[in-house]
Amino acid sequence: MHLVYLVLILCFNLSRILALESREQFDEELTLRPLRDGKLGARFLFTTLLKGATPRRPEALLTMTIHYTLFPLALGQVLREYAVTELHLTLNAGNWNYGQWGYPDEPGVGTGAELWAWMGDGAPITIDERWQGLRNALAGLFCASLGSLDEQRTTSPSLTFQPEGSLPDWTTAHQLRHATLPSEHVCTENLTPFLKLLPCKSLSGIARLLNPHKLFDADWHGLGVHVRYREGAGVEVRLAFQAVFDPVRYSHDKRRDWSLHSVFDRSIDKACPVARSSKVRVGLPKDRYMISPDPSVIDDRFATYLVGAAGEALDVAMQWPEEPAFQYLLASGAEPLTDISVRRTLKGSSQSQAQMALVITNNLPVQVQASYLETMPWLLQFYLHTLRAYVDGVSRDDLVSIISYSPPVPHSRPTLLQAILTLPPNNTLQLTMDVTKTFLRYTEHPPDAQRGWDLPPAVIIPFSFGELLSQNHSMPAAAGPALETRPRRIYTPVMLVDLATPDFSMPYNVIIMSCTLIALIFGSVFNLLTRKFVVVLVDEPASKVSPIESATCG
Amino acid sequence: MDGGLAFPALVAARFLLALAPSPAVLKHDQLLSSPLTSFSRLQEGIFLFENGIDPYSGGSFRHSPLLLSLFSTVLPLTRLTASLLWTASDAIGAWALIHIWRSRQNVKSSPRDGLLAAFYLFNPYIFLPTLALSTSTFENTLYLLSLLFACQGRSSASLLTLALLVQLSLPSVLILFPVVLLLVSDCVSRLASPRPFAADIRKTLPLLAEFAAYSLLLTIASTLACGNWSWVEKTWGAPLLLPDLTPNPGLWWYFFTEMFDHFRPFFLMVFSVHLLIYVLPICIKFQHDMLYASFLLLGVFATFKAYPTLSDPGLFLSMTSLFPEIFPYLRHPIVTALLHLHASLLLPLFNHLWLTQGTGNANFFYASTLVFGMANGAALLDAVWAGLRIAVGELKDGYEVVQE
Repeated sequence: MHLVYLVLILCFNLSRILALESREQFDEELTLRPLRDGKLGARFLFTTLLKGATPRRPEALLTMTIHYTLFPLALGQVLREYAVTELHLTLNAGNWNYGQWGYPDEPGVGTGAELWAWMGDGAPITIDERWQGLRNALAGLFCASLGSLDEQRTTSPSLTFQPEGSLPDWTTAHQLRHATLPSEHVCTENLTPFLKLLPCKSLSGIARLLNPHKLFDADWHGLGVHVRYREGAGVEVRLAFQAVFDPVRYSHDKRRDWSLHSVFDRSIDKACPVARSSKVRVGLPKDRYMISPDPSVIDDRFATYLVGAAGEALDVAMQWPEEPAFQYLLASGAEPLTDISVRRTLKGSSQSQAQMALVITNNLPVQVQASYLETMPWLLQFYLHTLRAYVDGVSRDDLVSIISYSPPVPHSRPTLLQAILTLPPNNTLQLTMDVTKTFLRYTEHPPDAQRGWDLPPAVIIPFSFGELLSQNHSMPAAAGPALETRPRRIYTPVMLVDLATPDFSMPYNVIIMSCTLIALIFGSVFNLLTRKFVVVLVDEPASKVSPIESATCG
Repeated sequence: MDGGLAFPALVAARFLLALAPSPAVLKHDQLLSSPLTSFSRLQEGIFLFENGIDPYSGGSFRHSPLLLSLFSTVLPLTRLTASLLWTASDAIGAWALIHIWRSRQNVKSSPRDGLLAAFYLFNPYIFLPTLALSTSTFENTLYLLSLLFACQGRSSASLLTLALLVQLSLPSVLILFPVVLLLVSDCVSRLASPRPFAADIRKTLPLLAEFAAYSLLLTIASTLACGNWSWVEKTWGAPLLLPDLTPNPGLWWYFFTEMFDHFRPFFLMVFSVHLLIYVLPICIKFQHDMLYASFLLLGVFATFKAYPTLSDPGLFLSMTSLFPEIFPYLRHPIVTALLHLHASLLLPLFNHLWLTQGTGNANFFYASTLVFGMANGAALLDAVWAGLRIAVGELKDGYEVVQE
């Protein structure tokens, strides 16, 4: 009887585990794209879908126990604890070169750390408290200084950072929190916890290629964690690692030939057994090339390999046999790969005043409308009344319309500026604005204060294209496949601002000297006010003091 | 010089100077306008206000809502109207200075009028902030008007201008005490013949109540103009809490830049109370001449207030021309003059070297503010000494005045 009972329980549990397992699915994909400046773009994407799950309602109690087999538990706990509906965390190093590399496969390429989350309202704990808990939890999870993304960095630019998934239809509204930390760097200590979130770690599958020695040697590298809720499907976690390698730099004879082994120093020896699909996609260049081994599927843009299909280690290699050495394109001759190009600079040598200039070139023959977002820490304060727009040197202030602006509060809140820019076809819009640099307390300066402060990137999203587009205008070629339908964010490079520094060795000296001066004047004034005036005879040596007249009234 | 023609001629010259193209660098000069008086910040606040954004929700706009509503409704600010308005304000200030002199001397006109006007209108510490369109110009004019009305015994006008002044700058509330005492006494010079305070001190109570009523009224008006109370912390809180550490010629900014965080509230309190502590002793000691007491207090504020600009010591220096009787008794006039000369050369030079040129550091400018503090302190001490010394009178050879 007992035995039967035991077997029944065992069967029941087994079936539950199997059911749970089928509730979760894991896909992985590596996309490699040879870029036109000889570089190689790589994007690792690990997608885990928790079928049928919904984000926790903020007001609901944390009662149900959770059991995940593939879904990263550490991340899942954080999401449930703080009732996060959608989450995006990116840690990047380097400037994404939109002109040469086109749009990235993963849109979040702003330098440094960027964290944004959509959270439902209505919980007993406010959104801002949960936001604080979330960034501290993620800081612990990813070993990054995300705890510094405090209220001095947090804004809510909901126009620019629309949810990528869907928001559950709750009675209470969702709110956005967004913060960037451009001085944050990404390195091995962030990659290790990232790998721990994968079901196969870096032991098998395409994650085998995530070799820190090679990844952090790349010209550009960044990791991203994206959680979104897909209506009808479930909660999806996308873990992405993106890097731009330079095979020309690695090769001895200035050739751009590459193979997985030359780039990552590894090959994919076995597939991840729990992955539903595991693919390597290679973007095919326009000129003559050779690719080996033979791909499983090939179309005019991509060659696709299924990992583990051949049963042996996969080492994809691409060669340009007719090219003795890679010839770099001249920057002037290269056609830009994005709809618009953006450059942002800070002008002026003074440490108290400066002028910020934004130069946006519309590369399309149609008028483009773009949203423009600045989330500036209070270190730099805008004089919005000096915002001017020029096209060809002619003032065109009508092309800028400010949607929302919240001025900064020293020591507590950053500036948020959202504007809509109208970009004339094939032309350049120049924006200038006077800014003032603030003076900080000596304790607020970071170590190595003379280096200056990194300012977060501006984000431009071209969202509305003029009429010509429908008449079969060809979009720029390198358009990424991932988010082709949605408006694509363009991050400007970060700016460096040098703020005036006090002398850090001086606190005691300043306190002593200022107080001495004040005490000197105070003492002298009260000395004059309180002591009586007397007249003395000074000619006769050692004479007696003769108070002839005492002329005071106090 | 004919007093009748000199004043219009000087004012005309100032208007010409205002209309002449002035270098843009003046507008951002930290010596001429503080965060509380800067023209750029005023324009920014007006721009935000007109576009439906509460300028007091941010931290850069710290002007009074009265200025905000004045310039956003009645008087639109352009470069031209602003220049004219600011210069007109200076002209009114000079006019007030002349009339204070006249009521102090009890004359209808005097040959010193032109000299007084020149001393005010062409004092570089006064006209440079005006060219930079710093709102401290209005504060100076209101100071002088309030003192003028007090000298003339027009209590309501005096208290109203003072209440307006307090709206623009909170520390000036400390001048209320001597102004009220001046209203119940008179402003005739009695420095040489001190006597106990003659008038009944209880007569000040209705005046204080009147001032409180005006202040309340203006505060309510300000609140209505801006829609909420956030302006109180932003405008009146600034001189007490020092949220903006932009350099200025005063003593506070570097002290609180370098201050340890846990001592900051304590020293903010000490520095604020330090201003307060001068009021009673000076008023008691100079109870025979309240105008002189107010003059000395202006000297104290110019040296020790939280966000001074050059126009604060400028007002003090220009007002010395009201008291020519003390000139023979100044203690170290040469030293004071040289200190001021020294500071006026060092301040712009070291500010430029630190912030623009990058070849100096913050200590350079801090040192020059110390020299400037010394110069202002020395001028104050000279004035206190001379104001007391004059009562002793001329001495025979071989005798000297010392303190017991």
